[in-house]
Amino acid sequence: MPEDDPPFDVPGCLARVRQRDQQAARDLVDHLYPLVIRIVRSHLPRRVLEEDLAQEVFMKMFTRIDQYQGAVPFPHWVSRIAVTTCIDHLRAQKRRPEFRWADLSEGEADVLDAVMTNESDVAPDDALEAHELVHKLLDQLKPDDRMVIQLLDLEQKTIAEISGLTGWSQSLVKVRAFRARRKLQKLFTDLKRKERS
Amino acid sequence: MNPADPKHPWSRLAAAARRVPDARDTTAPYGFSTRIAARAMTAERPMGSLFERLSWRALGVACLLAFASVALNFSALASPHPEEELATGGDDVVAVLLDLS
Repeated sequence: MPEDDPPFDVPGCLARVRQRDQQAARDLVDHLYPLVIRIVRSHLPRRVLEEDLAQEVFMKMFTRIDQYQGAVPFPHWVSRIAVTTCIDHLRAQKRRPEFRWADLSEGEADVLDAVMTNESDVAPDDALEAHELVHKLLDQLKPDDRMVIQLLDLEQKTIAEISGLTGWSQSLVKVRAFRARRKLQKLFTDLKRKERS
Repeated sequence: MNPADPKHPWSRLAAAARRVPDARDTTAPYGFSTRIAARAMTAERPMGSLFERLSWRALGVACLLAFASVALNFSALASPHPEEELATGGDDVVAVLLDLS
């Protein structure tokens, strides 16, 4: 977007959307799409298409638009809808795949082996494998715990920001983070015990 | 060692994962906003808001009926009931029973 573009007039656009103006609705979707798709991509459950999930978020946004009171900026309100929609989809995935050495690619297994046997940082060339590994490990957590740990450790959000995004109290966020970290610790202990075959 | 510790394997993996840039396009696909706007703007109002509107209407009708029934029966309500007159006009029952008078 060029620097000299006028800022998007969210209140004006919302007023027109409430009068069922389709052009305003299109403008609002185009304006918010980058925000929504980033959240959806970060928390996309397996076997769900990102475009389908984004569509669901926007449909919820339009359905609930009369409930928006302006207490928080509109993009924050939409972010919360996006996050809770992702959590609902993650919860719908009843089964979580087991994390096994045998299911890892050669590169992923090497990176995991390296981080478990020495204390040096992951090499920049191995970042992609680390990224895949992190997501496979996150898949082992319960949806709510996964959301918290992903927002904390990958997106580096604060407890207050996570509370605002999810609607959970700060104490609940801390409890979920504690539980998720304990589960991760158990996973690493198990992996160490099983070793690489 | 706790996974929150920067030296924990999890922390080092997460730090490496954060370095992976997401270069994917974030603009809406062609026709996406048109499709969503058309669906959202032509969709019927949700049942919640329909129920809400009907409830307000029902409340209005109920208030109207209440006022009408009070207005119609005002004369009956305003005049003291003959039985009530007897009760208030008679002797105090407690005083009679205890023989206080």
